[in-house]
Amino acid sequence: MKLKSLLLSAVLLVSLPLVADEAKVITEKAIEAAAVQTPQEPQQQPETEPGSDEVQPGTATTPSADETNGRLDGFGEAITEVRNSLENLNRMRISGYIQPQYVHDERSRNELGGTSGTRNLDQFSVRRARVKFTYQFSPTSRFVLQPDVTSSGVTLKDGYVEFTEPWTAWKNTLTAGQFNWPFGFEIMYSSSAREMPERSRVIRTLFPGERDRGVMLSGLGFGERFRYQVAVVNGTGTSRADDVNKRKDVVGRVGYSLGAFDIGASLYRGADIVATSTVATGVEFDKQRQGIDFQWATPVPGLGVRGEYISGKQAPGANTTRTESFDVDGWYFYAIQNLGTRHQLVARIDEYDPNTDANNDAVRTIGGSYIFHWDANSKVMLAYEMPENEANDPDDNVFTLRYQYSF
Amino acid sequence: MKKLIAALLITLPVFAAKPISIKGSDTMVIMNARLAETFMAKQPGTTIQVTGGGSGVGIAALINGTTDIAASSRPIKASETDKLKSRFATTGFSYPIARDGLSVYLNDRNPVRELTIAQLRDIYTGRITNWKQVGGNDATIILYSRENSSGTYQYFKDTVLMGRDYSPRAQTLQGTAGVVNAVAKDANGIGYGGAAYAKGIRFAAIKKDANSPAIMPSLETVRSGQYPISRFLYLYTRVRPSKEMKAFIDWATGPEGQQIVTKVGYFPVR
Repeated sequence: MKLKSLLLSAVLLVSLPLVADEAKVITEKAIEAAAVQTPQEPQQQPETEPGSDEVQPGTATTPSADETNGRLDGFGEAITEVRNSLENLNRMRISGYIQPQYVHDERSRNELGGTSGTRNLDQFSVRRARVKFTYQFSPTSRFVLQPDVTSSGVTLKDGYVEFTEPWTAWKNTLTAGQFNWPFGFEIMYSSSAREMPERSRVIRTLFPGERDRGVMLSGLGFGERFRYQVAVVNGTGTSRADDVNKRKDVVGRVGYSLGAFDIGASLYRGADIVATSTVATGVEFDKQRQGIDFQWATPVPGLGVRGEYISGKQAPGANTTRTESFDVDGWYFYAIQNLGTRHQLVARIDEYDPNTDANNDAVRTIGGSYIFHWDANSKVMLAYEMPENEANDPDDNVFTLRYQYSF
Repeated sequence: MKKLIAALLITLPVFAAKPISIKGSDTMVIMNARLAETFMAKQPGTTIQVTGGGSGVGIAALINGTTDIAASSRPIKASETDKLKSRFATTGFSYPIARDGLSVYLNDRNPVRELTIAQLRDIYTGRITNWKQVGGNDATIILYSRENSSGTYQYFKDTVLMGRDYSPRAQTLQGTAGVVNAVAKDANGIGYGGAAYAKGIRFAAIKKDANSPAIMPSLETVRSGQYPISRFLYLYTRVRPSKEMKAFIDWATGPEGQQIVTKVGYFPVR
């Protein structure tokens, strides 16, 4: 509502100079007409005693044409200043969303926080509350800041500056700061738009936090059908404030759109430092990922499917006796059926294998959701997920009821 | 019996046809309103609501499901199609409904009669700042432009400025009518917009380059592609149009609809 009021004020203020111009013309005409009608002999004014402050009727209320013009000019200048200020304000865009939710998790236990086991997970929470500030300080450069405020605290999600070259149709853009890893589809797909409460397990495990700090070059070509992104990043994600190794990681994606069918290929090359049983200060392990992804708006009305496969090398946990990374892989597949403009039915299956050389350690999760789009700003999601461990399958199904309001 | 009538009255609105909403391009809003009025007069059971806001606003409404049809004076962007694909599993359907010659407005008192595309680009990017540099009076050029949510703004930027930035001196005005009014009042002003709003000012003849002939926007020159700054105006739907929407779009792109398109100052697609 405030934005609407601001916009309305802006429209009024922008149109005021035009109105002022009209007013000026009318006033000038009125003054000219008055001058014609006024008798040549000056009217006798009632005498005022010298030193008196009393203002006689008719002497102070009729400004001269010059005074009127001066006042209108002053008014015009003031309006121009206000308009310039509003234009500056207009460069700032604010958007955001909040996701209050209730989760029922079969692993939940009543306890105050023991040394082992899972604490209670059945709870109300604010999963995400993000406000995105975008300041477009020129048509080719912008500043973006997106904090996330939840019950766990405040974290910085996005914080970057972008410069887009204006000389070619490729719109090559340099981004510097903290941003999403340019890998695959689900990492860069906004949590406000995603059709399941959380990303797939393979993404959550291999790309925790989905963001890193560095610089990125991206662009579009061939009628915006081709898209490339390549970044040099710390490789530590956003969980640490600093980088623990001198080596920087390289990550990138190329994608091509055939209209209803999009395909992409991604690559990540880098290293992790992990404390081992013999070297407490840390040893370098390979950190590699390669992946392919697709998104297809099928010919079946309202049915979209998408999927992604990732394989790679993942460093072991701290104090390991291993000398090499684990070979890992994982995938996900979504089917989303739209029913009209307000209802969506979603099915997702995903799998993550933390060590492809070992048996019985993969986790496959089958889940689904129903989404009701209340209006352009709000939606309600009901989701159920059933993880299945290959070795032993504990009770760990999760039900989520989430409301989202975005602006 | 009274209860039955009351029940019917309460129930009737439920069965009434849902209005078709068209939202988007300010350039197209008058044309769409005329088309809708005429169509509704012919089809009393159909209600069509037309609102403006800009092409970007219309396409955003299509993506978030709050309009049935988006009116856009530019083709949909790849990033917008991506959002449509993600949300509705569709790439959308486009219907060119008219052609528009994007006119360049000059004040009646301005002696300049023609401009090349390169001169226009230099004027709007701020490299040419005085009318005498293009054969006019020794006076500073006052630039009038549209707000950046407008498809006209984007089209002019892509086609004439070749993606370059507008000069920071360009004054942003709401709606093409605002640009026309400003140029009509300003002897040194220049603006751009659709032919439909061009009252009280005159058009500059446009030359593709210095060696090309200067072309005025007209039915013949826009339809033949001779006029260098012409574009299609589109209606976009998310999915294949419903029976009512299809009837309207078919009629609008048919002979009767195209006659109205011509009457409001645009050019027919057929």
